[in-house]
Amino acid sequence: MGSRWDYQRKSALLLLPYLIGAFFLVGLPLILSLAVSFFTYDGLSAPTWVGLANFREIAFDPLFRVALVNSLTFIYLAVPLRLLAALGLALLLSRPRPGTGLYRALVFLPTVVPEIAYALLWLWILNPLYGPLNQILRLLGLAAPAWLVNPETALPALVMMSLFTIGEGFVILLAALKSIPTEVYDAAWVDGSGRWQAFTHITLPLLKPWLVLLIFRDVIFTFQTTFTPAYIMTGGGPYFATLFLPMLVFEEAFDRLRFGVGSVMMLCMILFTLGLLVLLFAIFQEWGYEEV
Amino acid sequence: MKRVMLTLIVAVLLASCSSLPAQEKITFMVFGDLAELEAYRKLVAAFEAGHPEARVELTHIPDQADYRKRLAADFAAGSPADVVLLNYRRIGPYAAKGALQPLGPYLEESGVTSVEDFYPEAIEPFKWQGQVLCIPQNLSSLVVYYNKDLFNQAGLPYPEDDWTWENFLAAAQRLTRDLDGDIRPDQHGLGFEVSLARFAPFIWQNGGEVVNNTFAPVRLALDRPQSLDAISWLIALQTKHHAVPDAEQEAAEDSESRFLNGRLAMYLNSRRGVPTYRQITAFDWDIAPLPRKVRTASLVHADAYCMPASVKNKDLVWKFIEFANSVEGQTIVAASGRIVPSLKSVAESPAFLDPQQKPLNSRVFLEMIPHLRALPSTAGWVDAEELATAELQRAFYGQAGIEEAVQSAILLAQPYLGDAYAP
Repeated sequence: MGSRWDYQRKSALLLLPYLIGAFFLVGLPLILSLAVSFFTYDGLSAPTWVGLANFREIAFDPLFRVALVNSLTFIYLAVPLRLLAALGLALLLSRPRPGTGLYRALVFLPTVVPEIAYALLWLWILNPLYGPLNQILRLLGLAAPAWLVNPETALPALVMMSLFTIGEGFVILLAALKSIPTEVYDAAWVDGSGRWQAFTHITLPLLKPWLVLLIFRDVIFTFQTTFTPAYIMTGGGPYFATLFLPMLVFEEAFDRLRFGVGSVMMLCMILFTLGLLVLLFAIFQEWGYEEV
Repeated sequence: MKRVMLTLIVAVLLASCSSLPAQEKITFMVFGDLAELEAYRKLVAAFEAGHPEARVELTHIPDQADYRKRLAADFAAGSPADVVLLNYRRIGPYAAKGALQPLGPYLEESGVTSVEDFYPEAIEPFKWQGQVLCIPQNLSSLVVYYNKDLFNQAGLPYPEDDWTWENFLAAAQRLTRDLDGDIRPDQHGLGFEVSLARFAPFIWQNGGEVVNNTFAPVRLALDRPQSLDAISWLIALQTKHHAVPDAEQEAAEDSESRFLNGRLAMYLNSRRGVPTYRQITAFDWDIAPLPRKVRTASLVHADAYCMPASVKNKDLVWKFIEFANSVEGQTIVAASGRIVPSLKSVAESPAFLDPQQKPLNSRVFLEMIPHLRALPSTAGWVDAEELATAELQRAFYGQAGIEEAVQSAILLAQPYLGDAYAP
């Protein structure tokens, strides 16, 4: 009993620096900015209590609706595609063959590029006239879309760009694949199962906790990472086609000096993230990280 | 002996401390390109040379949009710089909250400059409830920068001072050329940033209005027949005449870059482009006034030095603003080419009208002054302008009908206009 108490005390002591930092740098600012939701505050004069007025305002704000729909569309497209890409590449590169190390490094490489550099790089790739992507499409005799110029293709272009920063998911799935004992496959082989059956009956079920974990992580992550590409590459345009919630919150607060409205939008963003996570939990019936 | 030495050392140290002048720090935040930054550095050095009691700390943020956001964050944190540069269209939110110290009373008591030394057109936009709030540094207008070589090649005469919309359109069409035979123009006659601010002078030239009342705007007036006519005429330059790069071409390479690379003949900009254009060596260029329709008009572009109300050492900070807007201070900044000085005496001096420096036609900026008009500077104006710009862009690139875009602009901007709006 004594040693258990000792263990807990030691863990608490080790956690303390993190907890103090998390409270002062994340928890407290979060609580304060949520409190701002009920005030009109422009950063210049003292906040005034307005009750639920900010909530009413965003309910009728067409830009908020556009940004919310765009953010959810982005998640809906990007999360499954990113997962599929990571899984496909992990399966492809799980067994050591000549050159596997190089390919794995290449898959991970875009994830290492700093966000802003990555956005600028894609701005060049997607240049409608001089960009390499459209040059290649034209050489192949295919239609070369105007990508970021056209409201219909701008958001899909940003989704496409997000499909190359899957390094972390890829590495996690590689490790997960490694943890599946080969005996299981041998037994299935002896029982006469084919490759596809082995994949659907062994690999997928054993990977499920990892996949679920990645989905949860990606939903949270994707809600926020739309900021840099939208800010650097499109400014939310053309005609609000890539206006996402994080950017609208930023503009509302720091361009229009309406911190109250911005806070309400941020609150909505957190609630929507939570809602999505609960929905996903209802589907998967697990959080993906429980130790069995 | 040791003790004596120690005492001596301490005494010397104390003495040297007390003889050092107590330097006060002034923080000064600006935006602009590198040539401008250089000018501000010289300005600061000149001030410090004359005021050993002050040390000026310069913060430079290149992009104006980023600058605005930084400023908002600084004000919210309660620690804005002591001297900030603000465009008159952006003072509304700060002025409405009393966050800026009115500088009119300081100017009245100044022994260096008086309000009469400035162009009234520069002072006027910075007045808030009848009081001078900030001291304008420049007074620019929208003009036409043109590539003389391309005009020569096309056998066109250079624009006259009194040219009309018809001359302007004809030139833009003549200077638009398809060089590689793919039907799409590779050289454009005209280019400009598609925004409400760029549309405004053309609307005024046609006798139209942007808002119902500049000082107390209640509604955008873009749907008046004269306004709508001007908007349609400008949009046709792209959608019908293809004299302006289309959305795809603009995204691939923007108009200003096309002008710099000699593939766009006329580019509309304020004085701010000059330091960059002076680096052009491949062709010769100059400026012309905007063309006129029923009247001559252009939009005033003006930035001013403002002092946040929270500043502690106001008298010293005022001394810096006073110096920056003295003949000496404005002459230093004018040498960069960036500004049209707001002080009449500097604007009419060789510091601005230097015949050795491009543009040779700099006097156009001064001749336009009587025809300058301002956009509103009310608290909600920034939002109204941004929303209207998004709609105009849609119509300009043929993604929406003109009437539809204008109606939508009026509707979307409405919540930000009128007395009811408080940020």
